[in-house]
Amino acid sequence: MRIVLNGQYCEVKSTMLDQILIECDYINPAIATALNDTIVHKQARVGTVLNEGDRLEVVAPIGGG
Amino acid sequence: MPNFYNVEFDNALLLGTAQYPSPAILTDAIRHSQVQIVTASLRREAGGSGAGQNFWDMIKGLGIRVLPNTASCYSVKEAVTTAHMAREVFDTRWIKLEVIGNSDTLQPDIFGLVEAARILCEDGFEVFPYTTEDLVLADKLLQVGCEVLMPWGSPIGSGRGLNNPYGIRTLRAHFPDVPLIIDAGIGLPSQAAQAMELGCDAVLLNTAVAKSGDPVTMAKAFADAISAGRAAFLSTPIEMSDMAQPSTPVIGKAFLA
Amino acid sequence: MTVSIIGAGVAGLTCACVLVDQGVSVKIYEQSDAIGSNACSWYAGGMLAPWCESESSEQWVLDHGIESIEWWDQHTSNLTKNGSLVLSMQRDKRDIQRYATLTENHRWLNGSEISEMEPDLSGRFERGLFYADEAHLDSRLALQQLVGYLSSKNVDVQFDRSITVNDCNSDYVIDCRGYGARHDLPELRGVKGEMLLLKSNDISLSRAVRLVHPRYPLYIVPRAEGLFMLGATMIENDERHRISARSMLELLSAAYALHPAFGEAEILEIGVDVRPAFSNNLPQLRRNKNTLYVNGLYRHGFLLGPAIAKLAAQAILDESKFLEVKPCALS
Ligand SMILES: Cc1cc2nc3c(=O)[nH]c(=O)nc-3n(C[C@H](O)[C@H](O)[C@H](O)COP(=O)(O)OP(=O)(O)OC[C@H]3O[C@@H](n4cnc5c(N)ncnc54)[C@H](O)[C@@H]3O)c2cc1C
Repeated sequence: MRIVLNGQYCEVKSTMLDQILIECDYINPAIATALNDTIVHKQARVGTVLNEGDRLEVVAPIGGG
Repeated sequence: MPNFYNVEFDNALLLGTAQYPSPAILTDAIRHSQVQIVTASLRREAGGSGAGQNFWDMIKGLGIRVLPNTASCYSVKEAVTTAHMAREVFDTRWIKLEVIGNSDTLQPDIFGLVEAARILCEDGFEVFPYTTEDLVLADKLLQVGCEVLMPWGSPIGSGRGLNNPYGIRTLRAHFPDVPLIIDAGIGLPSQAAQAMELGCDAVLLNTAVAKSGDPVTMAKAFADAISAGRAAFLSTPIEMSDMAQPSTPVIGKAFLA
Repeated sequence: MTVSIIGAGVAGLTCACVLVDQGVSVKIYEQSDAIGSNACSWYAGGMLAPWCESESSEQWVLDHGIESIEWWDQHTSNLTKNGSLVLSMQRDKRDIQRYATLTENHRWLNGSEISEMEPDLSGRFERGLFYADEAHLDSRLALQQLVGYLSSKNVDVQFDRSITVNDCNSDYVIDCRGYGARHDLPELRGVKGEMLLLKSNDISLSRAVRLVHPRYPLYIVPRAEGLFMLGATMIENDERHRISARSMLELLSAAYALHPAFGEAEILEIGVDVRPAFSNNLPQLRRNKNTLYVNGLYRHGFLLGPAIAKLAAQAILDESKFLEVKPCALS
């Protein structure tokens, strides 16, 4: 299935968000996820199913003012 | 001492964490000036990258509080979603809410700001809105549930200091009990001291420290100026006058030709 | 004494040269099939600009950067010692002023002095800073020349050899794997850098030119045959591939602002790699048993490679110095 991960097409085998994150090598806990502009909380990643063309954002901390 | 959402602090300097020459200098600046609150942000991260985690571990290692921001958000929806993501990653209800309205001056979109603040306060956030010195706007932000205000001094990164000290004074007088944090535009310790002398509770800055020749020393200079300004405010400064008033007693002066 | 060096980037090669110059027998193992094909060093601009760099780095960089210029002069034939030029767009006037205040050993140039120095830039800038003692080199040529120098000293440089410390049976191992050593050096972080290689025969420059920019030190380094290295972004993550449109736009805008002829240039190559850095952005040595790690060259591989290599050689040749090196915090 093809999704848009952080603005780029990405081919993934899994359909569940928690599995997709593992598949895409997101190993650190300090991340947050949004699916089609809506946050998906950590606890909700198991059980959130993605569909073809879904837009997934994965963000992490960075210095800011 | 500043108190934000029922948490008391000993230091009225808040630091941003971007643009330092190195992470080591950032942490030294924070330690040396005994800063207790820093701002941070969120950005896209690629799989396999440890960058975000490294930064977060470094900040956690300092044992200080983080005030996440919604920098570069131009819409209410974007700012609200970013705030939710920040709450989860940084594990805090605090959010420095920025809804930007103009990309040249980075001044807030005040309509979007009030709307986003309302939604976030209802969602249980403790909102620190980046706002202007406008009194009516401040009132609206308080009505929707904000308990702290962050009026700008001047545009972000400009180093111009307080563009409108009169406006800040008015805010202070009108809302004597609301914590005011001057956010943005401060370039010099004297400007930060001025904000504190006007009765502000704290000052948040980033560029003025990070881009100085010696960020560690500059952070300390700001911390000192801010505590001096606060002490001056609490000591009730004299009023200005147009005429001189001799400080040495005039009575009893010898009469000499 | 025998020493194995893992990694033939600028760190590995300078360490090898310094040791060979002191009569030590070394062997180099490099995982890729040719010099640079998997090394951050391949993308370096080759700026040897210790005074400019002191705008945002510590005194150590200045002191040791100066000595490196001399080292390169002795070990390569392509060092250009024409100084470097710092310019700014009208909009960023305050940034060049800041640059002048924070750095030393420069002088202000007016428009006609700039034209004299770089005729192709005439009439384009009213003011600039000139750092007469700085230099630049073609980093790729320099790496190849170091390999040539080592071969002439009968040093065995083995390509296609991805190895670990345990594979080496020499007295000492120097680990120069750059960001590849991050699992052994948990304090190491990556700082992404993007660069472009342009070709234009419409314009020529005799020295490296920096354009002050609020976020990155953008620069153009001229190379032979109308080639120009345009660099470099500094982004706090460890992505080794993919240039973003924004970065490309900023790099090209800088080149175009320097001279519109760059608008007609051919883009020959897009380079992206990760600079290995410690938290103070200074290169450091670490030790673990008989292995010495030389790493953290950040954006100063060429500027500080020779200097850190000398310290590494001292540690290898003097047991007490070796023991002074901070041990690894192995994860
Ligand atoms: C865009 C850009 C511009 C830059 N500009 C400049 C500049 O102008 N001046 C400057 O001084 N610096 C500059 N730098 C920084 C400079 O490139 C780095 O500091 C330097 O390359 C780091 O060198 P290194 O030898 O430590 O790592 P690398 O160059 O990455 O070398 C490591 C080598 O080890 C090999 N290796 C890894 N694992 C193994 C293994 N298991 N077995 C065998 N071999 C292995 C790799 O294949 C590689 O060849 C720039 C960097 C970038 C990205």
